Amino acid sequence: MSQPGIQISDLSVEFAGGDADPVTAVSGVSQEIDAHRFVSIVGPSGCGKSTLLNVVAGLQQPTAGSIMIDGKPVTGPDRRIGLVFQEDSTLPWKTTTDNVAFGMRILGVAKRDQQRRAQEMIDLVGLQGFEQSYPAMLSGGMRQRVALARTLAQQPSVLLMDEPFAALDQQTRILLGAEVRRIWRQTKQTVLFVTHDLSEAILMSQQVWVMSYRPGRIIDVIDVDLPDDRDASVVSTPAFNELQNRIWSTLQQEAMRGFVAESTAA
Amino acid sequence: MTAASVHTRRRPRINVPAGSFLLLLLVILLWWLAAQLSFVIPTPADTVGALVSNFGDADYRRHVEATAAAVLVAFLVAGLLGVLLGLALGLSKWVRIIFEPLVVGFNGVPKIVLYPVLLPIFSLSGSKIVMGVLFGLFPILINVAAGIRDMPAVYWKLARSVNANWWQVLTQIIVPAIRRPLLTGVRLAASLSAVGVVLAEFFSTRFGLGRVVLRAYGNGNYPDMMATILLLISVAFIVSLLLWRWERKTR
Ligand SMILES: Nc1ncnc2c1ncn2[C@@H]1O[C@H](COP(=O)(O)OP(=O)(O)OP(=O)(O)O)[C@@H](O)[C@H]1O
Ligand SMILES: [Mg+2]
Repeated sequence: MSQPGIQISDLSVEFAGGDADPVTAVSGVSQEIDAHRFVSIVGPSGCGKSTLLNVVAGLQQPTAGSIMIDGKPVTGPDRRIGLVFQEDSTLPWKTTTDNVAFGMRILGVAKRDQQRRAQEMIDLVGLQGFEQSYPAMLSGGMRQRVALARTLAQQPSVLLMDEPFAALDQQTRILLGAEVRRIWRQTKQTVLFVTHDLSEAILMSQQVWVMSYRPGRIIDVIDVDLPDDRDASVVSTPAFNELQNRIWSTLQQEAMRGFVAESTAA
Repeated sequence: MTAASVHTRRRPRINVPAGSFLLLLLVILLWWLAAQLSFVIPTPADTVGALVSNFGDADYRRHVEATAAAVLVAFLVAGLLGVLLGLALGLSKWVRIIFEPLVVGFNGVPKIVLYPVLLPIFSLSGSKIVMGVLFGLFPILINVAAGIRDMPAVYWKLARSVNANWWQVLTQIIVPAIRRPLLTGVRLAASLSAVGVVLAEFFSTRFGLGRVVLRAYGNGNYPDMMATILLLISVAFIVSLLLWRWERKTR
């Protein structure tokens, strides 16, 4: 019997929009993720992926619907949930260790535990030797590792990642993607991962949700039946290709709709 | 331990680059040359002599203390007020919409024209402090507000996601994030509050170096005048320089 990890029920988010028309970013989304599963969301730009993630994280109130994490409702920012941002969120005045310990420090974890757990997480994300470095001395990929380590150090049961590799180059994204998968197989958090990269979504996850252009709905759910210990070579297999084609055929129409809507609006 | 090593250990280690030192020598040389050409300008040696003998005079020390105390109080008040107003201006959209034009406009006003208005309200000793505050306030306020506005939006998201309370946000995110503009503001405020105080003293005060300079000028006592000017310039110069170095050292 599987346990519930994230339950999204009938979720809608509307932005008032000031003098412009209100924008429905997320519309009637109901989905469940079993605990310890890895799910990716793909969708055209501006469809509401970040909005959905922010609501799941408790950072934003939904217009309608509700979120449950491990069977208990989310009412606001919540320590059961860790969020990795798209932007570089390392604090430039802190060393790697202090950046990783930042969340624990705010949460009031005992000093000794902070240090020990920060070191564990630094080892986990492969930043040994850079404990005393400041972000300015680290590459973009390493800074994202710091942000990931900081999030993991808060020991969330749910890990939300909003295009965490979007600002990185292709090689770094592939390497870091493999790292995230390795870490997930070790820590077994429930993961909801946003990306606009199709093959990244398939490569990383056990299930892919395809989101429509505004108003954002989940229009397809695809189970990824690839081996759990897959690596980047899986992209050349027929199974991977088939998945990619199926997702792309759905996504293509939505991307087109989005493209047309944005260019006529402009 | 030898006497020499004790001596070198006690001396504060200030690493002045050779270039600055040469420049200083050049300035002194030019000053000395100017003194030879004009009898109004005392030589560097006479000036330093006058300064030393001035400090032997209890009355003179009282003037120094009056100015130093006024500058210090003005700087502290300007710093505190500037940070608070800067925070309000940087954090609240409404405060910004309402007060930004006022701040920009008032910053451009020659504040010294208000001195006669301040005198009956704050008396002689209070008015120059208020003048120092008016001068020192704006650089801090403007730098703090701009620093907050330039903060990456993701810092706010991070703060919310770890559920930081407002005190944690202030001390662990905002203050370190704006440390550089804040220090720039502090440095400018330190020198500008001194400008405000001394300027006010030129016009009217009972005790203070501004008055000492003016009186020495009136009496034709140029070495005394130059000595006090030298004191003001040196202290302001060194304080600014130290704050600037601190500013540059912060990451
Ligand atoms: N605070 C807000 N106020 C008003 N509208 C908003 C706000 N945040 C997002 N939106 C709108 O909601 C829609 C969805 O935005 P969201 O950021 O969730 O999209 P996204 O799928 O994450 O896009 P991207 O792929 O570009 O990151 C967009 O049209 C956006 O303009
Ligand atoms: Mg987004």
